[in-house]
Amino acid sequence: MARPAIEVLRGVNAWPQGLQRLVWVVAGLGLAIVPHVPHVKFWVLLLGACAAALRTVIELKHWRLPPKWLRGALAFVALLAVLVDYRTLNGIDAGTALLIVMAGMKLLETKTVRDLTVIVFLSYFALFAAFLYNQSLLRLPYMIVTAWLLTVTLMRIHQTTTAMSVREAAGIAGKMFAQSLPLAILLFLLFPRLPGQFWAVVPARGDATSGLSDEMSPGDVSELSISSELAFRARFTGALPPARERYWRGPVLHDFDGRTWRQHRAPFVQQEVATSGTTYEYDVMLEPHQRRWIFALDVPTRWPRRTARTSDLQLLSTPDRPISTLTSFRLESATSYFVAGPLPRVMRTVDTRLPGGRNERSIILAREMRQRAGSDEAFIAAVLAKFRDEEYFYTLEPPRLELNSVDDFLFNTRQGFCEHFASAFTVLARAAGIPARVVTGYQGGEYNPMSGYLLIRQSEAHAWSEVWLEGRGWVRVDPTAAVAPERVERGLEAALSEAGEALPGSFLRQSTMLMQLRLAWDAANTFWNNQVVAFGEAQQRWLLERLSIEDADWEQLGIALVLTLAAFFGGMSAYLAWRFRPRGKDPLAQIYEQMCRKLGRHGLPRAAHEGPSDYVARVLQARPELQGQLTEARNLYIALRYGPRSWGAQLNRSELSRLKFLVNQLKV
Amino acid sequence: MLARLLAVLRRKTRTWARKRHGIDSDPLTLSGRRIYIVPSSLGIVFALMIFAMFLGAMNYANNLALGLAFMLGALALTAMHYCHRNLAGLQIRSAASEPVFAGQTARFRIALENDAKVARHELVIANEHGSAPPARLESGGRVVLDLEMPAPQRGLLQLDSFELVTRHPFGLFRAWVYLTMELRCVVYPKPSPRGLPPPPLETDTGGAQDTRRGDEDFAGLRAFHPGDSPRRIAWKAYAREQGLHVKVYAGTAVTSHSFDWEALTGLGTEARLSQLCRWVEDAYAGGRAFGLRLPGTEIPPNIGPGHRQRCLTALALFDEKAAHG
Repeated sequence: MARPAIEVLRGVNAWPQGLQRLVWVVAGLGLAIVPHVPHVKFWVLLLGACAAALRTVIELKHWRLPPKWLRGALAFVALLAVLVDYRTLNGIDAGTALLIVMAGMKLLETKTVRDLTVIVFLSYFALFAAFLYNQSLLRLPYMIVTAWLLTVTLMRIHQTTTAMSVREAAGIAGKMFAQSLPLAILLFLLFPRLPGQFWAVVPARGDATSGLSDEMSPGDVSELSISSELAFRARFTGALPPARERYWRGPVLHDFDGRTWRQHRAPFVQQEVATSGTTYEYDVMLEPHQRRWIFALDVPTRWPRRTARTSDLQLLSTPDRPISTLTSFRLESATSYFVAGPLPRVMRTVDTRLPGGRNERSIILAREMRQRAGSDEAFIAAVLAKFRDEEYFYTLEPPRLELNSVDDFLFNTRQGFCEHFASAFTVLARAAGIPARVVTGYQGGEYNPMSGYLLIRQSEAHAWSEVWLEGRGWVRVDPTAAVAPERVERGLEAALSEAGEALPGSFLRQSTMLMQLRLAWDAANTFWNNQVVAFGEAQQRWLLERLSIEDADWEQLGIALVLTLAAFFGGMSAYLAWRFRPRGKDPLAQIYEQMCRKLGRHGLPRAAHEGPSDYVARVLQARPELQGQLTEARNLYIALRYGPRSWGAQLNRSELSRLKFLVNQLKV
Repeated sequence: MLARLLAVLRRKTRTWARKRHGIDSDPLTLSGRRIYIVPSSLGIVFALMIFAMFLGAMNYANNLALGLAFMLGALALTAMHYCHRNLAGLQIRSAASEPVFAGQTARFRIALENDAKVARHELVIANEHGSAPPARLESGGRVVLDLEMPAPQRGLLQLDSFELVTRHPFGLFRAWVYLTMELRCVVYPKPSPRGLPPPPLETDTGGAQDTRRGDEDFAGLRAFHPGDSPRRIAWKAYAREQGLHVKVYAGTAVTSHSFDWEALTGLGTEARLSQLCRWVEDAYAGGRAFGLRLPGTEIPPNIGPGHRQRCLTALALFDEKAAHG
């Protein structure tokens, strides 16, 4: 297996240089694009592949490159195609597509080393874009190897004399990588991390992390990755609320288009809220999330200045000020409350509205159930009973849903997480004429007995429904609780272990070694996610405190960065000076040079054309008093240098040291 | 506009560097202090790309993307050191350049020696007229590079200054040294087209007693040196146990041309030199002996490549004013 590979490599080494360069560059580009295959439209990949193939054929057959006008037209059409298909050129998706398309177009005009270099740069950029999509540990080796190969390519295309052998280029590039790594790591650790972003980001398609956003489309994401990242902490001054009452209220979604739930743009009329029972006093420490939302225990009754409660009973920071640093709020909430009626007309209209022609089977089902139930309360109980008793499953890996997501979910897939259940329930309630809305937020929280905090993680993001019942106001209905009561009572992990998801399969459970491996891999992944992928301001501060730099500010970090760079420059120079040190000269030449230097200092330098005899003769003419010493030294040198000596034999030690002695004793 | 500005800037720095370093010794070992290094245009593009990556990574708070940006940045800085080191410690010495005729291209020969333990790559010697193809130098290796320069006029052509450049390893940086060495090339006059017939052959009746040429008359014996033809060994003398000697002959009746400056009246200086050059070349090609007489210089008739070179050099360096003054 290995031998043919080597043969192939040898064959490649024998190709003409232009073809070799092109093949390396094209292969590098291909490797850099591979991670994009799952999320880039097929035609984009096809276009890139066609361009690469065409360019290779042109090189092989010595054809001429397509004329300039044709290339220009092609590039323009490709740009237009991306614009039409993606509707934008902004954002990661369109940007990646554009990158691939333009790399292909650039390939068609590649003539010089310079053009090839630009392609390698584009390949580096494709790797960069791939990291924006996925930062998993699993992919890391691939990315590193690709980056290294791109660097080898970069080096080889700049060798114009004779093509550097692949092995030599790979060695030098690898060495340079290893030498750059410490600096890269230090820069990574020390570079000040900015809280927040410079400009609004179009989020990447693909993996969603369970967290909150201002809209919700159950069925778009078939796999929800669980992020154990902290969302916020809460510290209660008194008793903690019981687990089933820990609903942290976030954005409320009213508008449904058949697939996606969104917030209602215009605010509603404020409704009066009456509370009863225990009130809880607590501090909420929000991790920066770049939104105005403040997650309060449902429902907040007292809030500080610069915050406000909306008509949806959600707390927002005011004025329009996103939470971009760790911020703390002192709040008071009551878990049992009553919104006094009547329901405003606009709100009733909005909260019973369903898009026409969508999810029709669900609507028919809801009307039948409402008729059979007789009252709103009975209808709600019937729907929850349906979720509980029929075959509906709680899972974080539900299948994707079709356009009519509620129909597909209710009658077909029957698997989902909170969003699916809340969405389906709300649609059923609206179809039965009951005003209903989706509330998003967090549910639960892990109590940390050491710090006395309740930790609420992104994985505890939740969605539930609220329905308007005459005489009772807005009533919370959590359909997820009907399917997976553990989710609400004991948290996500419990719900998942009930569903058998997080646990390894029975086969794995039996094999302890595989189990160990799995656990080790898990641990590595956890470390990777927490320490590398999630490395931020907090971790940086922690690290610097370890190095006894308290409260590092930009200035200190700047100094540290400058010191790092200086150390790198010094180390690199010293290392290379050592690597490029002169080869050892033979001792005889050194002694002879020393003698010439000595005489040269006294106005008798050896001319370039003079051999030892002529030189010494000339010196003796000027300084006859050196006769004895110089003649012996000359004879010794000539004997050692030119005298008979078997091949490879060592110099005569005693004669050598005698010569050394003579030269040292030489007094001019 | 920008190109002109750059050209001016380049000239200025060259003059400045020449003032700073003076005339270089020969051979010269490059110290790190005289090596200049700047990012190439590709290097600037690379820097912009890294900056774009950096902005993107910070904006998306994506640590791996940020890591890649830092890694590439660190790699570029490492490459900068490699680029600089690729020149430092090189030994440069001039090698003799072959004379050329005016109108041809002079080739200055410059030898590079690598004393270091590792190979050096992509070494280019260049001046404003062009550059030698890049060379690679193994550890302990030596390479002689030709730097071409047009030689429009006869005389001594001097290579003012040149650069030793490298873009190894990635082409992101350009490191170079300005070198000023005493490199000269003799430029012979351009031979005029065949027109005037050469002066007729003369017979040297006196018989030059020049032991260096001719083989007509026996002129004596001299001691044997290794390399002497065995046919000339005086075996009789050896048999008499007088030691190993060789017989030396001297020429006598030699016919030769005499190319005289004064004979070419009615022509300008350069035209005369061109004509003389043509005659010298033709006579040399024909294997005939010739002598050259210029105001202030007289070269007796002789044959052979050394003689030809002497004559042509005399023509190349002829200075009319000095000759008459």
